[in-house]
Amino acid sequence: MENIDKKLREEAKRLLEEKKVDVLIGYETGTLPLTATPCFITNPEDAEKLVWNAFCTQNLAKFVHDLISQHRESQKRVKPEDRKKKVVGVVARGCTTRSIVLHLQERQYARDEVVIIGVPCTGYVDRKRLSALVGGEDIQEGALEGDQLVVRTPGGEKRIPLKDALAGNCLTCRFNNPIMSDVMIGEQAPPMNPDQEYVEIEAFENLSTEERWAYFTKEMAKCIRCYACRQACPSCYCKTCFVEQSQPQWVGLGEDATDTQVFQLMRLFHMVGRCVDCGSCVSVCPMGVDLRKFLKKIDKDVFELFENRAGSSMEDAPPLSRAKEHDKEDFIFNP
Amino acid sequence: MARRKFATLKRFLDYIGLEGDRTIFTWISASEGERFANVIKGVTAKVRALGPATKLVKKL
Repeated sequence: MENIDKKLREEAKRLLEEKKVDVLIGYETGTLPLTATPCFITNPEDAEKLVWNAFCTQNLAKFVHDLISQHRESQKRVKPEDRKKKVVGVVARGCTTRSIVLHLQERQYARDEVVIIGVPCTGYVDRKRLSALVGGEDIQEGALEGDQLVVRTPGGEKRIPLKDALAGNCLTCRFNNPIMSDVMIGEQAPPMNPDQEYVEIEAFENLSTEERWAYFTKEMAKCIRCYACRQACPSCYCKTCFVEQSQPQWVGLGEDATDTQVFQLMRLFHMVGRCVDCGSCVSVCPMGVDLRKFLKKIDKDVFELFENRAGSSMEDAPPLSRAKEHDKEDFIFNP
Repeated sequence: MARRKFATLKRFLDYIGLEGDRTIFTWISASEGERFANVIKGVTAKVRALGPATKLVKKL
């Protein structure tokens, strides 16, 4: 890991010095132990801050989209001949590159506006899982030693195998290496366990309708509508989100349980063929809503019906933008 | 696109625990009056069998 950090910093510094990128998005060490936080670097000297480790959680493609779209918006007030292009560099793992592929396919920005520094990924630590493993105690200090997390809490020191604390989406990740990159740092990471990716979903499918509904309502009752999931999601980039639209108002803003369910249902359903399973929504959720249980189902259906995995290749067009003659027809009602 | 979206929507609503028979989709041409009547008969029969909806219903 030390080595990767060093190479990453060198590469970032070079890109900034050579003006290949205007801004670089990466991760720096967070303020709490065992965390990393997104950072934006414009000064080559600041490249020393960059880190790449198992605590880098957020999908940075979100910020790539934010920065480029804001820049483009600001350029609208500039005379066409004076408009400048902004190039964003990004430290990207597999899921981040999938989101970038998706953005490119959805014509959000051009390939030459983004420079991808690919990094291999062996999964990130799920903060909520880690917290549960230390019994909800305050983490005062922590370090990663090999494949063990050494965590100091008021109750003493604990050693936790890294694998136990990894996020659910990482354990069954199919694309932990970048789909595409301009610069690749480090070796390709070993595969995770993609064969198991739908095990949880299949188990849920086999429950009765009432059990499934009970689980859905139970999970959605936790939601406080803070919209953190939407803010963190790289695929949620509508200029005006349906929840904030008032003409027409698609979903009520009160505390009615149904409104929350409808909000979640609609947001989840906007992810058809677009969810890259980066786990950002799950990791930012302050209430621990099990969003992945539903997102992964959408991913499974899209793969079963249309043989597409969101953002997995530049050539494979988004499933909802095309149709095939032999698409299944069993959902059509013919009395 | 609508067709593909509907295929996933029906599966998804069923997955979260809504009765699958409540989401019904089909194609009817403006010239198919008889077919239209048959489809609507089929839909009402299915919905009647399920009874009133209780899920995702907002009480005002």
